[in-house]
Amino acid sequence: MNYVIKADKVNFSYSNEIVIRNINLLIPKSELTLIIGANGVGKSTLLKILCGILNPDTGNVLFNDIEIKKIQRRDIAMKIAYVSQEPVFAFPFTVKEVVLLGRSPYIGRFEFERDSDFQIAEKSMDIVGISHLKDRLINKISGGEKQMVSLARAIAQEPEVMILDEPGTFLDLKHKSQIYRTIKKLIDEMGMSIIIATHDISSLLIKFGSTVLLKDGEIFASGKSSDVINESNLSEIYETDVRIFKDGDNILISANTLN
Amino acid sequence: MTLKKKLILVCFILSVIWLAVLLFSLSAGTYELNLFKDFNSFSDIERKVFFGIRLPRILMASIAGGTLAVCGAALQAMFRNPLASPFTLGVSGGASLGALVAIRLGLTQSIIGFSIISVFSFVFSIVTILFVYSVSKVNGVVATGRLLLAGVVMNFLFSAFILFIQFFSEFTESLQTMKWIMGSLDIIGFSLVWKTALLSIPACLIMLSMTKDMNIHSLGNDVASSLGLNIKKMEMKIYFATSLAAASVISVTGPIGFIGLFIPHILRITIGVDNRLLVPCSFLLGASFLTITDTISRTIISPVEIPVGIVTACIGGIFFLWLLIGSKKEVII
Repeated sequence: MNYVIKADKVNFSYSNEIVIRNINLLIPKSELTLIIGANGVGKSTLLKILCGILNPDTGNVLFNDIEIKKIQRRDIAMKIAYVSQEPVFAFPFTVKEVVLLGRSPYIGRFEFERDSDFQIAEKSMDIVGISHLKDRLINKISGGEKQMVSLARAIAQEPEVMILDEPGTFLDLKHKSQIYRTIKKLIDEMGMSIIIATHDISSLLIKFGSTVLLKDGEIFASGKSSDVINESNLSEIYETDVRIFKDGDNILISANTLN
Repeated sequence: MTLKKKLILVCFILSVIWLAVLLFSLSAGTYELNLFKDFNSFSDIERKVFFGIRLPRILMASIAGGTLAVCGAALQAMFRNPLASPFTLGVSGGASLGALVAIRLGLTQSIIGFSIISVFSFVFSIVTILFVYSVSKVNGVVATGRLLLAGVVMNFLFSAFILFIQFFSEFTESLQTMKWIMGSLDIIGFSLVWKTALLSIPACLIMLSMTKDMNIHSLGNDVASSLGLNIKKMEMKIYFATSLAAASVISVTGPIGFIGLFIPHILRITIGVDNRLLVPCSFLLGASFLTITDTISRTIISPVEIPVGIVTACIGGIFFLWLLIGSKKEVII
């Protein structure tokens, strides 16, 4: 298989609590990989390990067959972008300034942004559909819009791999479909490899690509999304009775809370 | 306008203001000097006032004001909080107590040219910042409320120690140490100016070289590190630089509050939050501000001199309140 990131027997723990157990994983190139699991199962930790923010206690993460901890942080930043679950913006930068920060791995310590950096930032905002927000202050826009700004910032990094932690968290239905369509576009048109950790198992996301189901820090099942995502697997990892309703290609996943 | 052009323009304007402040402050005082006449026609006393007292004092004010403002901007970036400053984080209090302890112990020797007073001051301030930081960390993340609370508590504790030492001092000694309570720029000659500059200017340059990192850092630890920033290294550099800079100033001037807090704040409102602008401009505006407040402190009820710490706190405090009341819609804090 043509893969971009490989996790090899990865283990990770916070102080004494083991979070990730013996994970072996191949992230296919120019495809979508979903990581699905209950709260606190180690999804976020796994994502941070895959992009080199955290180092595994044992085992290795390889990016294009090179050990990720041997690559300079700034070089990784040109290859792998990361969008956190709750974006932090400590100071009221404008939206444009935040997106331009995505260019920082390409800009030297005492250099300023070049024209090309501005163009890339504009284009990134255009792809996500937030160009109209560019002069707004980041603390004056909604939570959903902040998530879109984060995505635009990650696109401006021009990465090979983009890692998103629960990108749908703060989004209403319109923005959610907007962000998922953007993700599809990044894969189809720009050939990015995308990894998403999510609870929100949307029809658009599982129509293509593969899924990894996590339970207690271990891989419970993995494979083509359409094969792996079924009632019995989901009921098992969420430890509750999960139902899947279908309407053509659209699916709706819900926990059975009535009985 | 590109950032580069904006940087040049704003720095130019602030430099002109600074220069004007310098000229005004050099001439104003109990003994008025006319700076526009031929230097050679200065009388002996005029020369003494100019070179012995006024010029060193004004340079000291500029260095101190600029340095404290840059420290404020850097600490605010590191803690991702606009209320961080050498004063609110207890660093000023620590540096003052360190200086006072050294004075009370009679340690007036010097180590490779630096007085033990400065060394004590530095050690106390670096210990304070590390302590405040570790207390405010919960699960590896700095909790803003805890951070500021810890800083304020440390400041109270240090004030208590300082007052205790003061209380048991003899009258003349207590007058001597008064400046470490109120803050004063009352120096004579250039030697303290050079010693301060030797430490504080390189520390400011370190912070100036990190402005791009500070911008990235504002996106939170995870994203910043995914953008290539080495968080630990950056934080260590800022701890070291701010402690060194603040201690080098405070060990000479005593605690001068508010500058580190409100100079970066005014600049954020007027020129924006990009640290590449904010940090250099903080130096220029901080330098102008402390120089002019010092001039006010020594001229307003001349020949009596009010400690400059009182004047900065008054002007700064009133200005800050005015900002706070007037900017209810633009809540930045």
